[in-house]
Amino acid sequence: MSTVNSIEVENLRRVFTRRTPRKLPWQRNRQVNGNELCVTGSDKSGNQPKTTVAVDGISFEIQSGEIFGLLGPNGAGKTTTIKMLCTLLEPTSGTARVGGYDIVREPAKVRGSMGTVFSGERSLYWKLTGRENLEYFAALYDVEPSTTASKIDSLLSKMDLESKSNEPVERYSTGMRQRLAVARALLADPPVVLLDEPTAGLDPQSARNLRDTVRSLRDEGHTILLTTHYMAEADELCNRIAIIDHGRIIALDTPAALKAGLQEMHSLEVEVDRAPDGVLDELRSLPLVRGVESHASNNGLETWTIRVLTEDSRQTLDALLDLLRASGDRVLNMKANEPTLEDVFIALTGKSLRD
Amino acid sequence: MAKFSKWLCSQLRLIGATARKEFIIFTRYPANAVLSLIEPLMWLTPLYFMGKAFSVGGHAVGFEGFTGTSDYFSFVMVGAFMSSYIAVAFWGMAYSIEEDMILGVLEPNWVTPANRVSILLGRSIMFALLTTVQSLGVLLIGALLFNVKVSGDIFVALLIIVPMLIAIFGLGLGLAGIVLAIRRAQTAIDMSNWVFSQISGMQFPVTVLPKPLMAVALTLPATYGYDAVRSVLLGTNPLLPMKQEIMILVTSAIVMCIVGRAVFYTFDRRCRRLGTIGGH
Repeated sequence: MSTVNSIEVENLRRVFTRRTPRKLPWQRNRQVNGNELCVTGSDKSGNQPKTTVAVDGISFEIQSGEIFGLLGPNGAGKTTTIKMLCTLLEPTSGTARVGGYDIVREPAKVRGSMGTVFSGERSLYWKLTGRENLEYFAALYDVEPSTTASKIDSLLSKMDLESKSNEPVERYSTGMRQRLAVARALLADPPVVLLDEPTAGLDPQSARNLRDTVRSLRDEGHTILLTTHYMAEADELCNRIAIIDHGRIIALDTPAALKAGLQEMHSLEVEVDRAPDGVLDELRSLPLVRGVESHASNNGLETWTIRVLTEDSRQTLDALLDLLRASGDRVLNMKANEPTLEDVFIALTGKSLRD
Repeated sequence: MAKFSKWLCSQLRLIGATARKEFIIFTRYPANAVLSLIEPLMWLTPLYFMGKAFSVGGHAVGFEGFTGTSDYFSFVMVGAFMSSYIAVAFWGMAYSIEEDMILGVLEPNWVTPANRVSILLGRSIMFALLTTVQSLGVLLIGALLFNVKVSGDIFVALLIIVPMLIAIFGLGLGLAGIVLAIRRAQTAIDMSNWVFSQISGMQFPVTVLPKPLMAVALTLPATYGYDAVRSVLLGTNPLLPMKQEIMILVTSAIVMCIVGRAVFYTFDRRCRRLGTIGGH
């Protein structure tokens, strides 16, 4: 792998300041009467600017030909980062370069050196056919007219959309629309491709196909930055992963190295017959326990899975079972697992990516 | 020079591709396409009967005193023909931004290296072409059914329309920037389009307006466009000598393009700072 950096991000920060919706006169009166308006910084009408730090001084470099993942829960700052890199959003501070171009000073050159695939399926013209969409965007990406037709044919074939190319996009499945969006991002053969939650909302087969496509893009030499909140996807695809939470990168390494950091850890998975809300805090306070999360088991039986990350499963096990029994939870199943990226996230933040 | 010609070719291709895309989408709603072509007749027919009701022996005598022609309906027809181009600036350029936001395609357009002004221009050109077809049809039907008489030099009238169109496109560009910022602008566009067309004298001579409103009318390039074209086609009395009106139109075209572009990019930058591109 070449060591040239395709993307360089240094201390990037984005703060949103939003005014709360203007209150109607009777709403203001009610609040004043209720003595709730004594907020420092509010203006005469009682509106208080709300400040949110979406991205808080992140730095990373992505080498050419690498698949780099931004992994984090919803609202962690992944999409804000992508929007800054593709020049839709200006950073509050910090710098970033894509393909050697500064995202603030040279936005047109940045846009020319990357293709972007947004999350969601409404990013195409549904009344146009797949081919017509690509023809239109080829002009926007300034693809040489003499090569446009062959380029589109080749992309449609690569994305397995040839047979549907002359049908309106409104008749496509979600997976087909997402593949067409990837084809659009590749029209100008950009060195860098940004993929924002590319498999969100796809069925397992379509998600698997799209992951194969991402791998083949890497093999062709594209540099890929993808955001995801699916741990298995990040683990499977990425050369390196930055785990992001509350706008900050809390870990950055290869998936193997991230998991190796937890080699001394054990991951226990316990299936119980009901939501274990009352007992989770007690489990977290047990000695040697580094993180606890629970989620519906998703097995159609309405059971719940508790995941406990501990430094010593032998010592934790008795206390864990005692606590569950005392709280009236019935243990249905239990197993010890190799630490996964999910465990890495739990160890770093004390919570699950699903939270 | 070679670099400029390459850039120009690329911009023309971009404008052509955008216009083509808009035309295809327009044809994918056939009922709407057909109705939009005949809609102007619906608006104009009552004015024909109103003009007829107020005329004496086929002549609108009071109207003639203001304009120099007694043919009120031909006056209105020419006004409607030109105001449809003003609508292109307001709807084809400004509203198209809101439409893209609602469809969710603004961001994919905005992350390409394409010149944003050229994207908007391509849309407006398609709508201007459709408007031309629509207006010529209306004029033809007007001539057949309502006895509209156009006796002047149509070629000179078209030459006068060109700087007015450019000025209006400049205005549309500025409005597109404002729509980018305020996002939900349909009512504002509808109102400003109506006010702009009416105050410029689409349906009546601006000389009937009270002085403060007339002062506003005289700041709008469309006022001189309507006036000059009517003077050429219908022989009405112009507000100013023709040469001066054309000078005003040409100057407005240059100024409004520069100002419109500056306004558009100012709001575009503001939206990127605030992070509101793509929301609606």
